[in-house]
Amino acid sequence: MAYVALIPLLPALAFAVMAPLSRVVRNRVRWLGVAGVGGALLLSLVAFASVWPGGHEGEAAYHASWPIAQVGGVDLSLGILLDPLAAIMLLVVTIVGVCVQVYSLGYMHRDERVGWYFAVLTLFTAAMLALVLSDNFLMFYMAWEVMGLCSYLLIGFWHEQEAPRKASQKAFLTTRVGDVGFAIGLAIMYATVGSFDFDVVLGSAGAWAPGVATAVALLLLFGAMGKSAQVPLHVWLPDAMAGPTPASALIHAATMVAAGVFLVARALPIFEASGVALTVTMAVGAITALLGGLLAAVQHDVKKVLAYSTISQLGYMFLAIGAGGAIAGMFHLVTHAFFKSLLFLGAGVIIHAAHTQDMREMGGLARHLPVTSVTFGIGALALAGIFPFSGFWSKDEILYAVWNDGHYVTFAVALMAAFVTAFYVARLWFRVFTGPVQTENLAEGHTEMLVPMGVLAAITAVIGLTAPRFSEFLGHAGHWPDPAMAVSSSVVALSGLALGWWAYGRTRLVLNTRSLKERSGHAYTVLTQKYYFDVTYEHFIIRPYMRAAESLSRFDGSAIDGAVNGAAGAWKRLTEVAWSFDGRVIDGFVNGVARAARASGGALRRIQAGRVQTYQRYVLGALVLLMLWIVVKGA
Amino acid sequence: MLPLLTTIVFLPLVGAAVTALLPRERADLPRLVALVVSLVDLALVLWLVVRFDVAGGLQFIERARWIPEANIQYFLGVDGISLPLLFLSALLLPIAILASWKVSERPGFYFTMILLLAVGMNGVFVALDFVLFYVFWELVLVPMYFLIGVWGGPRREYAAIKFFLYTLFGSVFMLVGILALYLHPAGGTFDMTVLASSTGLPASFQWWVFAAFFLGFAVKVPVFPFHTWLPDAHVEAPTAGSVLLAGILLKMGTYGFVRVSLPMLPEAAESWAWFVALLGVISILYGAAVAFAQTDLKKLVAYSSVSHMGFVMLGIAAGTPEGLNGAVAIMFAHGVITGMLFLLVGMVYERTHTRTIADVSGLSKQAPVAAGMLAFASFASLGLPGLAGFVGEFLSLVGAWRSELVAPGFVVAAAIGVLLAAAYMLWMVQRTVLGAPSSAVEGITDLNRLEIGILIPLVVITVVMGVYWSSILRYVDPAVTALLATMGAV
Repeated sequence: MAYVALIPLLPALAFAVMAPLSRVVRNRVRWLGVAGVGGALLLSLVAFASVWPGGHEGEAAYHASWPIAQVGGVDLSLGILLDPLAAIMLLVVTIVGVCVQVYSLGYMHRDERVGWYFAVLTLFTAAMLALVLSDNFLMFYMAWEVMGLCSYLLIGFWHEQEAPRKASQKAFLTTRVGDVGFAIGLAIMYATVGSFDFDVVLGSAGAWAPGVATAVALLLLFGAMGKSAQVPLHVWLPDAMAGPTPASALIHAATMVAAGVFLVARALPIFEASGVALTVTMAVGAITALLGGLLAAVQHDVKKVLAYSTISQLGYMFLAIGAGGAIAGMFHLVTHAFFKSLLFLGAGVIIHAAHTQDMREMGGLARHLPVTSVTFGIGALALAGIFPFSGFWSKDEILYAVWNDGHYVTFAVALMAAFVTAFYVARLWFRVFTGPVQTENLAEGHTEMLVPMGVLAAITAVIGLTAPRFSEFLGHAGHWPDPAMAVSSSVVALSGLALGWWAYGRTRLVLNTRSLKERSGHAYTVLTQKYYFDVTYEHFIIRPYMRAAESLSRFDGSAIDGAVNGAAGAWKRLTEVAWSFDGRVIDGFVNGVARAARASGGALRRIQAGRVQTYQRYVLGALVLLMLWIVVKGA
Repeated sequence: MLPLLTTIVFLPLVGAAVTALLPRERADLPRLVALVVSLVDLALVLWLVVRFDVAGGLQFIERARWIPEANIQYFLGVDGISLPLLFLSALLLPIAILASWKVSERPGFYFTMILLLAVGMNGVFVALDFVLFYVFWELVLVPMYFLIGVWGGPRREYAAIKFFLYTLFGSVFMLVGILALYLHPAGGTFDMTVLASSTGLPASFQWWVFAAFFLGFAVKVPVFPFHTWLPDAHVEAPTAGSVLLAGILLKMGTYGFVRVSLPMLPEAAESWAWFVALLGVISILYGAAVAFAQTDLKKLVAYSSVSHMGFVMLGIAAGTPEGLNGAVAIMFAHGVITGMLFLLVGMVYERTHTRTIADVSGLSKQAPVAAGMLAFASFASLGLPGLAGFVGEFLSLVGAWRSELVAPGFVVAAAIGVLLAAAYMLWMVQRTVLGAPSSAVEGITDLNRLEIGILIPLVVITVVMGVYWSSILRYVDPAVTALLATMGAV
């Protein structure tokens, strides 16, 4: 089973080969990235098959670790834990990873730094796979941060423009705010049990003091909120859309942003030991699901709609886990990874074809992009939660879990979010694919781009049917959707779609939304201003910090260094006083002697005039030799 | 059998004598002599590392009477705490020499100073007699004074004198501490190993002696508020001077805490821990904030050093295995990473003739290798896991949380420092590496082979240590465990 270690190592190796090459050569060997991730996919399939039958035992099928350090007698290690949860994630990451890599061959082929793009994409995949397979929190955290680096590099890929440059920095710093919490959580965890290993930590979590469990769980959650763009740390994800679209599909839709959800799922025993932390998780998820969905409904940039949609859907997953539906949350993670990356890849084709990201400048694409519109349509219906596409099943499970656990307020919020989701899906669809064509020479994407979309669409169409098996695989009783729940959620989703159609889809009478926006006044402004999060951060954190840094820097020069120079100056004046005393009184005598000596010294000086530097070197050499002699004698 | 440590320490002295006496006309000889000497020295250190017994405690001991009247010995030895620092010193020396390859002004004098500096740097980390330790400690000042004062920038005289006097001011207090230990009946020796394992110094006495040593070490580290000599010295120093200053000289201060303050004054170390941690945390946050506001690349790196060294202080204050392992790990990693940063700043300066951040932009377009290296070093510096900087900072945080001597609030504040480090580093990268080339950058050449060759070993070490922590901690951890055991015995 040692081949499991190769799953992250293959792409890592591909990166290691590609990174040091020159740009020209690297561009030529971009297939190495595809090969690395492809190899990981094959091995993942084997690994998945190996845990499939016995998975419901809840036993790790494969566990191995290699110490990287011993600190105070404790081994810190890199380790691999292949259990059903990890096996599922492996498939998600590698399938989406390969699809995105292949798609990128078409999408990015004209970029002058395409080799670097593939290298980073491949390193990202390696890090994500390492995270998925890690058997301890330390390795998890390390992989987590490396993903953050790749995300930074890809968001800022076109760094000669200002927006990507700024967005990449914002993304790294915002997620690192969460990571500060994560790191402190790790410190507390280690101080409590003296280990980062899942076995030890999760096995003992139930016996921790509730306060400790709550602290650790909330700090981990804070880290997860940064990575998974949950309110109030969500602000980086919409900006991150400045990166190449396929990178967004992989990193900022399917995998990395879902790592936060995976973290909570992994650390679930700590959250359960706390109890409070679960409630907080649910609340954060519910708030994010609704707020994100509402923002998605007012965006004009097609990628930003999808970005806010991702934020909202991730909120759905947190909500599910918090409400006790961890399996449902993980299932939604899986279905979402496929349908959302599909939507992003579709968006890439749309953007290439329409030469814009603004939906107001698009229309009527369905006739010219048949493959894209069908596959995108499947993804859109899945997102809206329409039977029989994947989103329907996972969303239904979440609603069922929330209702069953008695969280009726959360249930209501979740339904509202579902309604809003269906609405913005319809808005997106009708604006982009129907109505009058606004672009000339609309062209369908390359084959390399369409094939991966087809694969993802196929998965999206059928994967929902695995819902009961999915639960069983993770060790829970599987069931088919509750008919009442299925009907009510479908009604909500369909009415959302209907409202979207009514507002944006009617050919004859397209509703003029301007009057509606004007009438809603402040409410609409709040949405277009993204609830003022960015402004608030800019005003109350970033600017004050910059000002504080400036004034500390001035303080450093004037006060602290001033004190040093002042002390030195005072000392100098003191010595000058002493010196003048010395000069007048004591030196008077010495000078008399010196005058006599100078007369005789004149001869000597003549010999040496003009050779001061040579003279210095002799002195120096003599000094060094003297020291050498002392040492030799001493030793 | 050659006395290995003596050879390692004093081989550069022989080299210095040679370079000093070489005829002036052969301007290209001194650098060659210096390089050969430094490479032989590095080879010897590598051989020592290979033969080092991880579980063997102090080893390669050389001991002889030196000044018997005062019971002063010539006493050298190395353990798992000094070994990484000795290696770092031997590693950075040839790199500093190669980075000075083009020095044309009085090369004989220059390389003499560099080699003399090496004697002091190597010596401090292996000296086990206080008088010898002090001699090496002060020996470092003279060549660095000349390196800054002769080959420095426009304000070199001010910076050199400030560096010299400020650190001399600190070491006077250290001398007071050394003498106090010697004159106290329960001390009565300059033998550092005896002092480290002796018991019975009264707590109040320890308290004062700790304070004296603290001043000496804190100036060297430097800890807030004793740090203002550092940015001046760095800005004015030639590249090699900055590399050795940040890489080795700062570590002498923190090494002093670990080698002297903790084992010899364990009770005082405990009662002073909160203060050491406080200044450490202030250094972390303050250094990071001031670094953020800098407009000069070298100053930014200098203040980042203040911030990073704060993590070392935090780990030392913690007094836990994680904290001390972390402290030594940061010392090593910071030497490598900051060495890279200063080298790169120097390489960029040579081409653009400016260090003003606002004037240097778009490096990645014009000089992708330089830009890539700079970005790599920056990410290593901001503590990206998988690279060397993370190891120590993470362990220091974990160790501090575990310690009863450090308040949790300090640890939280220090963790925020990790975020601030990302802020100043990324902002620097955003302005210099990314974007469109500025007029100063337009037309510059990328790094040449020699420059890449200098950087590669540092890059490799950064990655290896970041992934396989044992590459350094296998030496450090047993020594730290032994150190804590003797402290606990008191």
